[in-house]
Amino acid sequence: MSSTSQKHKDFVAEPMGEKPVNALAGIGEVLGKRLEDKGFDKAYVVLGQFLVLKKDEELFRDWLKDTCSANIKQQGDCFGCLKEWCDAFL
Amino acid sequence: MSSLRSKTAKEMSDLLDEYEIKHGPVVDSTRSLYERKLKEAMAKGKKAKPSPDQTYYREEEEVTYEYRTPDRSDGAGDSGSYMRSRPAWSERELEHETSYSNYSRPKPEYGGKEFSDEPHMYDLPPTSKSPYLKSTPGPPKEAPKAPPSSRLVPLWVQFVFFVAVAVFLYLVFSSMETNEPIKGIE
Repeated sequence: MSSTSQKHKDFVAEPMGEKPVNALAGIGEVLGKRLEDKGFDKAYVVLGQFLVLKKDEELFRDWLKDTCSANIKQQGDCFGCLKEWCDAFL
Repeated sequence: MSSLRSKTAKEMSDLLDEYEIKHGPVVDSTRSLYERKLKEAMAKGKKAKPSPDQTYYREEEEVTYEYRTPDRSDGAGDSGSYMRSRPAWSERELEHETSYSNYSRPKPEYGGKEFSDEPHMYDLPPTSKSPYLKSTPGPPKEAPKAPPSSRLVPLWVQFVFFVAVAVFLYLVFSSMETNEPIKGIE
Protein backbone atom coordinates (compact mmCIF):
# COMPACT_ATOMS: atom_id res chain seq x y z
CA MET A 1 0.00 0.00 0.00
CA SER A 2 2.26 2.71 1.24
CA SER A 3 5.57 1.54 -0.09
CA THR A 4 5.60 -1.62 -2.14
CA SER A 5 8.74 -2.91 -3.68
CA GLN A 6 9.35 -3.44 -7.33
CA LYS A 7 9.14 -7.15 -6.70
CA HIS A 8 5.67 -6.70 -5.27
CA LYS A 9 4.54 -4.65 -8.21
CA ASP A 10 5.92 -7.17 -10.68
CA PHE A 11 4.23 -10.06 -8.93
CA VAL A 12 0.77 -8.56 -8.68
CA ALA A 13 0.82 -7.27 -12.23
CA GLU A 14 0.11 -10.61 -13.84
CA PRO A 15 -1.02 -14.19 -13.12
CA MET A 16 1.77 -15.99 -11.31
CA GLY A 17 1.81 -19.06 -13.53
CA GLU A 18 4.89 -21.13 -12.78
CA LYS A 19 6.88 -18.41 -11.05
CA PRO A 20 9.28 -19.71 -8.42
CA VAL A 21 8.66 -19.09 -4.77
CA ASN A 22 11.32 -16.42 -4.50
CA ALA A 23 9.35 -14.30 -6.94
CA LEU A 24 7.12 -13.49 -3.98
CA ALA A 25 7.77 -10.20 -2.25
CA GLY A 26 9.57 -10.74 1.02
CA ILE A 27 10.93 -14.10 -0.05
CA GLY A 28 14.55 -13.92 -1.00
CA GLU A 29 17.13 -16.56 -1.67
CA VAL A 30 17.44 -17.87 1.86
CA LEU A 31 13.74 -18.03 2.65
CA GLY A 32 13.03 -19.36 -0.81
CA LYS A 33 15.40 -22.24 -0.24
CA ARG A 34 13.82 -23.06 3.08
CA LEU A 35 10.37 -23.07 1.55
CA GLU A 36 11.49 -25.27 -1.30
CA ASP A 37 12.94 -27.72 1.15
CA LYS A 38 9.59 -27.96 2.82
CA GLY A 39 7.94 -28.70 -0.50
CA PHE A 40 6.77 -25.22 -1.39
CA ASP A 41 8.73 -24.96 -4.56
CA LYS A 42 6.44 -22.74 -6.59
CA ALA A 43 4.64 -19.52 -5.78
CA TYR A 44 1.30 -21.13 -6.41
CA VAL A 45 1.95 -23.69 -3.66
CA VAL A 46 2.43 -20.87 -1.21
CA LEU A 47 -0.70 -19.37 -2.66
CA GLY A 48 -2.46 -22.63 -1.90
CA GLN A 49 -1.33 -22.43 1.69
CA PHE A 50 -2.43 -18.82 1.86
CA LEU A 51 -5.89 -19.83 0.70
CA VAL A 52 -6.13 -22.81 3.03
CA LEU A 53 -5.40 -20.42 5.86
CA LYS A 54 -8.43 -18.50 4.66
CA LYS A 55 -6.32 -15.53 3.64
CA ASP A 56 -6.06 -14.63 7.32
CA GLU A 57 -3.11 -12.37 8.02
CA GLU A 58 -2.25 -13.62 11.46
CA LEU A 59 -2.44 -17.28 10.50
CA PHE A 60 -0.39 -16.78 7.37
CA ARG A 61 2.25 -14.77 9.18
CA ASP A 62 2.51 -17.42 11.88
CA TRP A 63 2.78 -20.14 9.30
CA LEU A 64 5.47 -18.28 7.40
CA LYS A 65 7.41 -17.72 10.58
CA ASP A 66 7.14 -21.39 11.52
CA THR A 67 8.03 -22.68 8.09
CA CYS A 68 10.91 -20.51 7.00
CA SER A 69 11.60 -18.22 9.99
CA ALA A 70 10.56 -15.10 8.14
CA ASN A 71 10.80 -11.89 10.13
CA ILE A 72 8.02 -9.38 10.58
CA LYS A 73 8.83 -7.39 7.49
CA GLN A 74 9.19 -10.41 5.29
CA GLN A 75 5.93 -11.82 6.60
CA GLY A 76 4.17 -8.57 5.87
CA ASP A 77 5.59 -8.22 2.40
CA CYS A 78 4.66 -11.75 1.43
CA PHE A 79 1.18 -11.47 2.87
CA GLY A 80 0.54 -8.16 1.16
CA CYS A 81 1.81 -9.46 -2.13
CA LEU A 82 -0.42 -12.53 -2.08
CA LYS A 83 -3.41 -10.61 -0.83
CA GLU A 84 -3.19 -8.08 -3.60
CA TRP A 85 -2.67 -10.78 -6.17
CA CYS A 86 -5.80 -12.55 -4.96
CA ASP A 87 -7.79 -9.33 -5.01
CA ALA A 88 -6.82 -8.87 -8.62
CA PHE A 89 -6.97 -12.36 -10.02
CA LEU A 90 -8.74 -14.78 -7.75
CA MET B 1 -3.06 -33.86 28.21
CA SER B 2 -3.43 -36.21 25.28
CA SER B 3 -1.06 -35.62 22.45
CA LEU B 4 -2.31 -33.24 19.85
CA ARG B 5 -0.68 -35.35 17.19
CA SER B 6 -3.10 -38.19 17.78
CA LYS B 7 -6.18 -36.05 17.38
CA THR B 8 -8.21 -36.21 14.22
CA ALA B 9 -8.67 -33.16 12.08
CA LYS B 10 -12.19 -32.76 13.40
CA GLU B 11 -11.01 -32.91 17.01
CA MET B 12 -8.34 -30.34 16.27
CA SER B 13 -10.91 -28.13 14.66
CA ASP B 14 -13.19 -28.43 17.68
CA LEU B 15 -10.34 -27.65 20.04
CA LEU B 16 -9.41 -24.60 18.02
CA ASP B 17 -12.99 -23.42 18.26
CA GLU B 18 -13.00 -23.94 22.00
CA TYR B 19 -9.99 -21.71 22.39
CA GLU B 20 -11.51 -19.27 19.94
CA ILE B 21 -8.57 -19.56 17.57
CA LYS B 22 -9.46 -18.52 14.07
CA HIS B 23 -8.49 -21.32 11.71
CA GLY B 24 -8.97 -22.90 8.34
CA PRO B 25 -9.17 -26.59 7.49
CA VAL B 26 -6.77 -28.82 9.33
CA VAL B 27 -4.73 -30.35 6.55
CA ASP B 28 -1.22 -31.67 6.40
CA SER B 29 0.35 -28.34 5.70
CA THR B 30 -1.57 -26.49 8.40
CA ARG B 31 -1.56 -29.11 11.10
CA SER B 32 1.73 -28.27 12.72
CA LEU B 33 0.78 -24.62 12.85
CA TYR B 34 -2.48 -25.39 14.64
CA GLU B 35 -0.80 -27.81 16.98
CA ARG B 36 1.59 -25.09 18.02
CA LYS B 37 -1.23 -22.60 18.47
CA LEU B 38 -3.20 -25.01 20.61
CA LYS B 39 -0.17 -25.76 22.71
CA GLU B 40 0.38 -22.08 23.32
CA ALA B 41 -3.24 -21.51 24.14
CA MET B 42 -3.30 -24.39 26.60
CA ALA B 43 -0.08 -23.26 28.23
CA LYS B 44 -1.40 -19.76 28.58
CA GLY B 45 -4.48 -21.20 30.23
CA LYS B 46 -6.75 -19.29 27.90
CA LYS B 47 -10.43 -19.57 28.52
CA ALA B 48 -11.73 -22.71 26.92
CA LYS B 49 -15.48 -22.63 27.04
CA PRO B 50 -16.86 -26.12 26.67
CA SER B 51 -19.95 -25.28 28.71
CA PRO B 52 -21.03 -21.71 29.22
CA ASP B 53 -23.27 -22.65 32.14
CA GLN B 54 -20.43 -23.00 34.57
CA THR B 55 -20.03 -19.33 35.30
CA TYR B 56 -23.68 -19.04 36.12
CA TYR B 57 -23.54 -21.81 38.64
CA ARG B 58 -20.42 -20.45 40.17
CA GLU B 59 -22.10 -17.16 40.88
CA GLU B 60 -25.01 -18.90 42.42
CA GLU B 61 -22.76 -20.97 44.60
CA GLU B 62 -20.85 -18.00 45.88
CA VAL B 63 -24.08 -16.32 46.60
CA THR B 64 -25.51 -19.08 48.74
CA TYR B 65 -22.60 -19.14 51.12
CA GLU B 66 -22.98 -15.55 52.10
CA TYR B 67 -26.65 -16.10 52.31
CA ARG B 68 -26.64 -19.08 54.57
CA THR B 69 -24.50 -18.00 57.50
CA PRO B 70 -27.05 -15.63 58.92
CA ASP B 71 -29.08 -18.65 59.82
CA ARG B 72 -26.23 -19.90 61.84
CA SER B 73 -24.91 -16.92 63.64
CA ASP B 74 -27.94 -14.78 64.30
CA GLY B 75 -31.16 -15.03 66.21
CA ALA B 76 -34.42 -16.45 65.11
CA GLY B 77 -35.66 -13.16 63.76
CA ASP B 78 -33.00 -12.76 61.18
CA SER B 79 -32.81 -16.35 60.24
CA GLY B 80 -36.56 -16.54 60.01
CA SER B 81 -36.70 -13.63 57.68
CA TYR B 82 -33.97 -15.00 55.52
CA MET B 83 -35.38 -18.44 55.40
CA ARG B 84 -38.77 -17.20 54.47
CA SER B 85 -37.54 -14.99 51.73
CA ARG B 86 -35.12 -17.49 50.35
CA PRO B 87 -37.62 -19.59 48.40
CA ALA B 88 -38.76 -16.49 46.57
CA TRP B 89 -35.29 -15.89 45.23
CA SER B 90 -34.93 -18.23 42.33
CA GLU B 91 -33.11 -15.91 39.96
CA ARG B 92 -30.49 -13.31 40.56
CA GLU B 93 -32.35 -10.84 38.37
CA LEU B 94 -35.12 -10.62 40.94
CA GLU B 95 -32.74 -9.55 43.64
CA HIS B 96 -33.77 -5.93 43.92
CA GLU B 97 -37.50 -6.27 43.66
CA THR B 98 -37.96 -9.43 45.66
CA SER B 99 -35.37 -8.62 48.26
CA TYR B 100 -37.01 -5.31 49.02
CA SER B 101 -40.36 -6.95 49.32
CA ASN B 102 -38.92 -9.80 51.30
CA TYR B 103 -37.28 -7.52 53.72
CA SER B 104 -40.55 -5.80 54.21
CA ARG B 105 -42.10 -9.05 55.30
CA PRO B 106 -40.20 -9.58 58.51
CA LYS B 107 -41.03 -6.09 59.66
CA PRO B 108 -43.65 -7.15 62.16
CA GLU B 109 -41.06 -9.24 63.91
CA TYR B 110 -38.96 -6.31 64.94
CA GLY B 111 -39.67 -3.83 67.67
CA GLY B 112 -41.40 -0.55 67.13
CA LYS B 113 -38.20 1.45 66.83
CA GLU B 114 -36.58 -0.56 64.16
CA PHE B 115 -39.83 -1.15 62.39
CA SER B 116 -39.87 2.39 61.16
CA ASP B 117 -36.31 2.24 60.03
CA GLU B 118 -36.47 -0.86 57.89
CA PRO B 119 -38.20 0.58 54.84
CA HIS B 120 -35.89 3.59 54.69
CA MET B 121 -32.82 1.57 54.99
CA TYR B 122 -33.73 -0.35 51.98
CA ASP B 123 -35.12 2.51 50.00
CA LEU B 124 -32.58 5.20 50.55
CA PRO B 125 -29.13 3.74 50.23
CA PRO B 126 -29.63 1.36 47.40
CA THR B 127 -26.08 1.72 46.26
CA SER B 128 -24.60 0.75 49.56
CA LYS B 129 -27.02 -2.04 50.12
CA SER B 130 -27.20 -3.50 46.68
CA PRO B 131 -23.81 -5.19 46.79
CA TYR B 132 -24.95 -6.86 49.96
CA LEU B 133 -28.33 -7.71 48.55
CA LYS B 134 -26.83 -8.99 45.38
CA SER B 135 -24.82 -11.41 47.37
CA THR B 136 -27.63 -12.71 49.49
CA PRO B 137 -30.09 -14.25 47.01
CA GLY B 138 -29.27 -17.74 45.99
CA PRO B 139 -30.79 -21.07 45.08
CA PRO B 140 -32.98 -22.30 47.89
CA LYS B 141 -31.92 -25.86 47.45
CA GLU B 142 -28.74 -25.47 49.54
CA ALA B 143 -29.06 -26.78 53.06
CA PRO B 144 -28.25 -24.31 55.83
CA LYS B 145 -25.26 -26.26 57.03
CA ALA B 146 -21.65 -25.22 57.44
CA PRO B 147 -20.64 -23.24 54.40
CA PRO B 148 -16.97 -22.76 53.62
CA SER B 149 -15.57 -19.49 54.88
CA SER B 150 -14.63 -18.09 51.49
CA ARG B 151 -16.03 -14.58 51.89
CA LEU B 152 -14.04 -11.40 51.68
CA VAL B 153 -15.82 -9.59 54.52
CA PRO B 154 -16.79 -11.71 57.52
CA LEU B 155 -20.49 -11.98 58.12
CA TRP B 156 -20.40 -10.48 61.59
CA VAL B 157 -18.77 -7.40 60.16
CA GLN B 158 -21.61 -7.15 57.69
CA PHE B 159 -24.13 -7.30 60.48
CA VAL B 160 -22.32 -4.76 62.60
CA PHE B 161 -22.28 -2.46 59.62
CA PHE B 162 -25.92 -3.12 58.98
CA VAL B 163 -26.90 -2.29 62.55
CA ALA B 164 -24.66 0.75 62.54
CA VAL B 165 -26.33 2.09 59.43
CA ALA B 166 -29.73 1.38 60.92
CA VAL B 167 -28.89 3.24 64.10
CA PHE B 168 -27.39 6.11 62.19
CA LEU B 169 -30.43 6.50 60.02
CA TYR B 170 -32.70 6.37 63.01
CA LEU B 171 -30.73 9.15 64.62
CA VAL B 172 -30.91 11.22 61.48
CA PHE B 173 -34.61 10.83 61.18
CA SER B 174 -35.31 11.37 64.82
CA SER B 175 -33.33 14.58 64.74
CA MET B 176 -35.47 15.97 61.96
CA GLU B 177 -38.04 18.09 63.62
CA THR B 178 -41.03 17.41 61.49
CA ASN B 179 -44.48 16.34 62.44
CA GLU B 180 -44.38 12.96 60.87
CA PRO B 181 -40.79 11.91 60.47
CA ILE B 182 -41.43 8.37 59.47
CA LYS B 183 -45.03 7.78 58.64
CA GLY B 184 -44.94 9.76 55.44
CA ILE B 185 -42.62 7.21 53.91
CA GLU B 186 -44.14 3.78 53.66
